[in-house]
Amino acid sequence: MSRDAFEALERLAGGLGTAILAFMVLTFWIMVSAACLVGVGLLMIPPMLALTRAVAERERGRLNRWGLEVVTPYLQQDTASGWTARMRTARRDPATFRDLRWVATHGTLGLVLGVIAVLMPTMTLRDATFPFWWGLVPRENQVTSFDLPITTFPAVLVAALVAVVVQVIAVMLAPRMARLQALPGVRLLRPHPSIDLSRQVARLTATRAGALQAHAAELRRIERALHDGAQNRLVAVVVTVAVAKRALAREAAASGLALDGPRAALDEAQSAAEQAVTELRGVVRSILPPILEDRGLSGALSALAAGSAVPCALTADDLGQLPLSVETTAYFVVAEALTNVAKHSGARKALVEVRRDGGLLRVVVSDDGKGGAAEAGGTGLGGIRRRVEAHDGTITLTSLRGGPTTIEVELPCGS
Amino acid sequence: MRIVIAEDDALLRRGLVLLLTGEGFEVVAAASEPDGFLAAVAEHRPDVAVVDVRMPPTHTDEGIRAAVEARRLHPDLAVLVLSAYVEQAFATNLLAEGTRGVGYLLKERVGKVEEFLDALHRVAEGGTAMDPEVIAQLFTRRHAPMERLTAREREVLALMAEGLGNTAIAQRLVVTDGGVQKHIRSIFAKLDLAPTDQVDRRVAAVLHYLES
Repeated sequence: MSRDAFEALERLAGGLGTAILAFMVLTFWIMVSAACLVGVGLLMIPPMLALTRAVAERERGRLNRWGLEVVTPYLQQDTASGWTARMRTARRDPATFRDLRWVATHGTLGLVLGVIAVLMPTMTLRDATFPFWWGLVPRENQVTSFDLPITTFPAVLVAALVAVVVQVIAVMLAPRMARLQALPGVRLLRPHPSIDLSRQVARLTATRAGALQAHAAELRRIERALHDGAQNRLVAVVVTVAVAKRALAREAAASGLALDGPRAALDEAQSAAEQAVTELRGVVRSILPPILEDRGLSGALSALAAGSAVPCALTADDLGQLPLSVETTAYFVVAEALTNVAKHSGARKALVEVRRDGGLLRVVVSDDGKGGAAEAGGTGLGGIRRRVEAHDGTITLTSLRGGPTTIEVELPCGS
Repeated sequence: MRIVIAEDDALLRRGLVLLLTGEGFEVVAAASEPDGFLAAVAEHRPDVAVVDVRMPPTHTDEGIRAAVEARRLHPDLAVLVLSAYVEQAFATNLLAEGTRGVGYLLKERVGKVEEFLDALHRVAEGGTAMDPEVIAQLFTRRHAPMERLTAREREVLALMAEGLGNTAIAQRLVVTDGGVQKHIRSIFAKLDLAPTDQVDRRVAAVLHYLES
């Protein structure tokens, strides 16, 4: 038997699994439909729809595993609550009816094909070996798999020969049967041809670009509010307290009083305000490094590379216009990675590469250190991952014990 | 000493006026935006201008540009720039036109009144005043000639960049004047600065350092 036939049998057997489920769902639907005639069945429709979707999703997963790309077509997840809302969502989605048609075909035709595929080899094997054990069983058991009584040895030989021929035919037909069984799924479980997924993709891309831009505007607004508002007020406090301290000192000198209490209080007020200013600057830097606004990503990265404790080479081509939040993320990835290189790797040199491939910004930071970096080690890699994933990006860490270490980050940045 | 202030935040502007007046300076004008500041400088011809980097309309580097412009129009004017954060590009722009009478401080240094007044005097007398943060940031950068310096020599160079003279450096590092001179000679040698009459080697070393 060829490999194709084996694979086809495997598919048919797998299809039998979902076909049994589809058959059960079909039976339930018939029962529910009958119950609808007296009213109570109506309540069962939404859960039945959910069950149908679940089974259909299972079949999609199975077909995808076999390389037949079947994308989930639902316009909306079934998250509405309340009978009317759920019914409305389901009715508006053409996929609902296509799912039902699939249940009807796969639960019948698919089931029959699956059963034949699974039983056929067993039956033919039994009949083909019939001549060897025919004489050993009681007379009432001397029947072929198709229940024909066999009483003479030549008949046994004929039956065995027929079984072999049937098996050969089955092997030849198996791939076609498998295709036939998968056909309803491939036809009906894909999105209806009228639903253009590319339009949805375009819309999602546009809304994401809009969200990124809004995010950037928001970052700028916060940065401005903190620098020009809160920070200035705090510095004004620092200055005013300083003025008060100087006045107090003069007063103390003129009057001969010690005035140590008020002076200590003012000292405390001043150092608290100064600390607040420093902390505020740290906060602003962590949400939008001022250098990014002033010099763009390439400039900011070369400043990072120049400031790295481990000698660091930077290659960055012309990156073009990037959303500010993507630049911020890329900046923090490099900053955090270089900090890790300096702190943990023992490397002698590091390399930062930043490249743009159409709608992707690729950032690679590598070093020649001792490796063994893990996200669990409190190395700030978890923070990088969260930032990157918030932008739908991916991060790959390669760090074998003994080195070297490479962090590769890809960020979608519109096109 | 006659001073013009350019600061857009009303509260901080008043604080600065209060502080400087209290210390016996004459604040001849306090402007809230770049144009008013340039007009005030033209009108009052002050000795020193104290300028905030971020000012209307865009709150980015208007203050630096106004300061550079004021220096172009009035080359004798000393300028002390106050910044919300350290941005080396600001410092470089400011120093591009020359290091005489220029200062760049973080805003909150004003609260350390002695340091602030010291910087103000130094700038007014034609010296340089750089915030230790600026120097510290520049220090983390690596550059071949700088790597030849010893830790002590870098310290000395950093203090030179802040604008301190030999005696002040000696006091800060608790060494003798002669010791400081020895370090400085060594720095000049390592940075390949030969003694000539054309170039002030001290300024050249600092510039070298700032630009590296």
